[in-house]
Amino acid sequence: MDMAIRVFVLSVALFSWSLISLKGQNPLQDQAVDFTCLNCLPSDALIQLSRQTGINIVFNDRFFQSCPPVSVTVQRTPFSKILETIIACTSVSYRWVGDQVVFYRKIQKFTLSGYIQDAETGERLIGASVRLFSNAMAGATSNEYGFFSLPLEQGFYRIAVNYIGYQQEQRTLEMNADRLLTIRLSPNSALPEVLITALPVDDQETGPEGNRQNLPAAAMKQIPVPGGEADLLRLAALQSGVQTGVDGLGGLHVRGGNADQNLILLDDVPVYNPHHALGLFSVFNPATVSNARLWKGDFPARYSGRASSVLDVRTRDGHFREYHSDVSAGLFAVSATVEGPLVQDTCSFLLSGRTTYFGPWIVLFSKRENLLTFSGENITYRFHDLNFKLNYVFSAKNRLYFSYYQGGDVFKNMFEQRTIDPEGLFTDEYTLDSEWGNAIAALRWNHLLRKNLFTNTTLRFSRFYYQSKLGLLSNFLSASGKDNLLANYGQIYQTVIRDWSGKTDFSYFPTHNLTLRWGLAYTFHTFQPGALSINFLVPGQSPITIDSLSKVLLNNERLGADEGEAYVDAEWRFSKNWRLDAGLNYSIFQIRNNTFDAIQPRLRLQRSGPSGWQHWVGFHRSAQYLHQIGSFNISLPFELWVPTTTKVPPELVWQVSGGAALVRSGWNVSLESYYKRFERVLTFLSSNTALFTGGAEDASGWEDRVSAGTGTGYGIEFNLEKRMRPTTVNFSYSWSKATRQFSDINSGRAFPFRFDRRHDITINVQQRIAKWLNINLVWAFATGNPITLSGVKYQHHAPNGDIERNVYVYTDVNGFRLPAYHRLDIAFNAQYGKGRLMHAIQLGVYNVYNRANPFFLYVDSGSGSNAKAIQYTLLPLLPSFRYELKF
Amino acid sequence: MSLKYHTLLTFILLLLGWRCVRETDINLPVEPTKIVAVSHFAPGNPIQVEVSLSQSITDAGDPVIPFNADVSIAVGGKFLDKLFRVTDDGGRIYWESRDLVETNTEYTLAVRVAGLDLIEAHSLAPEPIRLSNTRVDTQGVRLIELTGGKLALQVPLEISMANLPAKDRYFAFGLRHEIEIFEIIDGEPVPDEYYEASSKFLADGRTLALVYDTPEKVVLVDQNFWSSESKTIWLDALIPFDPAYERPRRIFIEWRTLSEDFYRYHLSLARQGSNIPLNDPDALYNNIVGGYGNFSGYSVSNDTVAIPGFN
Repeated sequence: MDMAIRVFVLSVALFSWSLISLKGQNPLQDQAVDFTCLNCLPSDALIQLSRQTGINIVFNDRFFQSCPPVSVTVQRTPFSKILETIIACTSVSYRWVGDQVVFYRKIQKFTLSGYIQDAETGERLIGASVRLFSNAMAGATSNEYGFFSLPLEQGFYRIAVNYIGYQQEQRTLEMNADRLLTIRLSPNSALPEVLITALPVDDQETGPEGNRQNLPAAAMKQIPVPGGEADLLRLAALQSGVQTGVDGLGGLHVRGGNADQNLILLDDVPVYNPHHALGLFSVFNPATVSNARLWKGDFPARYSGRASSVLDVRTRDGHFREYHSDVSAGLFAVSATVEGPLVQDTCSFLLSGRTTYFGPWIVLFSKRENLLTFSGENITYRFHDLNFKLNYVFSAKNRLYFSYYQGGDVFKNMFEQRTIDPEGLFTDEYTLDSEWGNAIAALRWNHLLRKNLFTNTTLRFSRFYYQSKLGLLSNFLSASGKDNLLANYGQIYQTVIRDWSGKTDFSYFPTHNLTLRWGLAYTFHTFQPGALSINFLVPGQSPITIDSLSKVLLNNERLGADEGEAYVDAEWRFSKNWRLDAGLNYSIFQIRNNTFDAIQPRLRLQRSGPSGWQHWVGFHRSAQYLHQIGSFNISLPFELWVPTTTKVPPELVWQVSGGAALVRSGWNVSLESYYKRFERVLTFLSSNTALFTGGAEDASGWEDRVSAGTGTGYGIEFNLEKRMRPTTVNFSYSWSKATRQFSDINSGRAFPFRFDRRHDITINVQQRIAKWLNINLVWAFATGNPITLSGVKYQHHAPNGDIERNVYVYTDVNGFRLPAYHRLDIAFNAQYGKGRLMHAIQLGVYNVYNRANPFFLYVDSGSGSNAKAIQYTLLPLLPSFRYELKF
Repeated sequence: MSLKYHTLLTFILLLLGWRCVRETDINLPVEPTKIVAVSHFAPGNPIQVEVSLSQSITDAGDPVIPFNADVSIAVGGKFLDKLFRVTDDGGRIYWESRDLVETNTEYTLAVRVAGLDLIEAHSLAPEPIRLSNTRVDTQGVRLIELTGGKLALQVPLEISMANLPAKDRYFAFGLRHEIEIFEIIDGEPVPDEYYEASSKFLADGRTLALVYDTPEKVVLVDQNFWSSESKTIWLDALIPFDPAYERPRRIFIEWRTLSEDFYRYHLSLARQGSNIPLNDPDALYNNIVGGYGNFSGYSVSNDTVAIPGFN
């Protein structure tokens, strides 16, 4: 039988076989046969057996091409046993179809898995995509540790590996066994073209993962920023749907959410205070950031603990092959980084530090502005960050990471107020000493359990503390020369939170279109809020110093709480055009023998249509057991972090969203709308008149000073991106509305959220002038923030007339809006290098046209007939400069 | 000013050291002039109403009092009394009723001023929640030395209500003390005169956090204070005196049961803020229809304790 006939017969037989359901065994297979064939090719042996028994055997010659000749000599042996002897050399199988035997090749599946990393540094790349040229559906995206897994059938494949800022890597592979690869991508040598408003959908270079937006480290260093200090949170604030206070102060507010509703992770560890200098800078030292991803909603179930959004920041691993250093200096801060291998290609480290030289600036400005009432020569402000990372590759299947971060702010001020009257001289000496900061540590173990089952186990520690000490020493020097101590008063306030936690995550890649993730986590929280005020003139307390009081507070009772969670996530491309991300998180929180729990579903359905269209809908419900309760217009470190209790319920947020995007011919356009509902959102009911009773703003009784309310947020976000090399333009516009409603505030009426902004526009133009030089221009516009203002006042007299109180008639909370915010920033970024030496310079201007954006208004109504409203502006035109040297 | 505010203000002012402070023309909310009426009334007393006109926030002048105001009181929709204007010895001007306030009677206030909108308000004086006998922890009484040879007497008090209502837990209290001034005659102290003064007090942090000063010389108690279902409040009254010629004698406790109008008005005043930049003031509670101010009733229960060792 020639080849063509055999193939034809095989095809017909296979077709027939597909139509016929066979049940039971064919009696012919047990037929006893005497058979001899010495040194026969398997195909010849099968033909001989067929002729001898009269049973038609259908096969393809190629099944046995690699088989050596066989010799068979058997008597009274079952037919099926003879068949198995002949075909033992290969992985084909057969079926009975009627009275004939049909051979077919077993479809073998293998797993292509491995790690994607930087070719030069060995840094694992997060979110890199692996795509098959032959099948658009099949592909994988590297996870948080650069790992990917892609089940494939036996055969030859051509794959492409992509990552933003890196050259594409193409490979042709024969999949005839499981393969574990390390794919090394080479970075682009030119200044990277960066996108500051990454679209929340697939593009051709990165794989999709929910509603994720990448915040590339390269973009962070190229956008213009005050003083030239590259900042991740300023990049995040340029995304549509993300609001901040004026000039970046006030934390991130995603789609109408509170700042404390953002889960901000540094190497998988929650960061409680991501800011320095009240929000002007973030704690993320740009020299250490490898990757950052932002979810504005529909985030995977593996993220929980915060209700609105996720910002997952990963630090660099450190160079695996060479020692490198990086020194950077801007107008306000300087940083130094050293990295390299401890053991070549096996163990690397990264050590980085950053500190500020704000001090001289502050003294200079405080003198210029005659602010000596509040400051003096002894004023100090500084912040610092220290990052250390160590990672060790035990084998292709095991890797250990250790990350440590410690950073904080110090603010000290000492000043005197002197008042002279005919009776003598009054002298008040104030001493203010505030410190706050984070410390986090993580020990992570990556282990490849199976070719398609990846695990990560993490032990975590996170600590945030704030402590402020105020001292007042008041003296009176009488005209007669007698010196009297009038007051010696001290006050301490602190909030401390510590977390110890452990978690295990599994990533399973059973098929090329399905990824499953599941995991467990446990966290033990301790809270230590407290405040003390003391008059040192009281006998018996005079020996106590304010420093010893701080120790008393640190020994205060700690409030402990347990939090556990379990989750499962599925990413399923169930057809060529459809993708489903579904997840479920169950969390439980226990405190003072009270237990709270929540089921948090996550869902996102995405369709990739023809001609580059994409559509999606999403839903998420999230619970939050920890709350930062404050009442200020800006997010401050000393706002208390408190746990859920029976009086303070868990916050709940749910969100639905839907959108469409078009990616075509260099255009990238998306439109997304959302509706968000906040339940049990919290605020602090503060009082500002504790003077009569002598009480301090005290952490005591906080549960009874919290009001739980509701809120809504809805809006439309539009993004447009056009690449016209050498020019790239990004335009984003948000229309949004966010409200809050508390029974105890505004007489129970709903009012605008303090970061409610109706219109928000960002335009970014990036022009490449040369391979080593580009210009980056950002124009931002936003509706003014709502504030509470009074236009009317009256006087309230006590019955006996000796107390008068001006009553300002605030009719509506946040019923008035500050003027619109807008500014233009420009930066020139140059990069030049030869060999290992690389220079990078940013020169720019922040707020080019010196727009006096209102930070807040102060109505000075106490200065006679000249009462006036005064607008305070935070950042006027500021130069921006940063020099970075890598070697 | 609390420590948090102090830290914040100092820091912000330093950040603002970039020559960024500038005056600007701001379109503040413009409200037409309206009648302002402020009145808190209690059973057994006449209703006294202070009437003035609202001012622009930038108006630093004295409030305007409409001397031609027509102020009247009605009960159950029927006219009860037209109030007459009074100027007391201190120059305070108010309108006073002839009738005395009765418990649980809803009064309607109406004020007319030519050229301005009529204002109206309703409120009542609730049934008072009585105090049980106030206890003094005699073991805890102590003297504190102050400068200039003065002393302060610290007196622990346990103030309890006879019962805690299931709802409307609106209370305020005031502490006053009586000091005897004596002369030394023939080596013996001889009482000469007495005076009263407001007493400051110490308390635990939770208590201090949940009480608010008011312009009424009473301290408002947040209704959440009673969330533990306790009907007692513990305080240490502080009584400064000069031992050379003074002697503390008694402490007077005024316990007010408030109408909701009284409670919410003063709570919103306490949360109004102190005109501190970046402060988050709350909207003012206003039960005056057509104007501003507050018309609210309360009832009083009094108790007196003698200071041990000084009688």
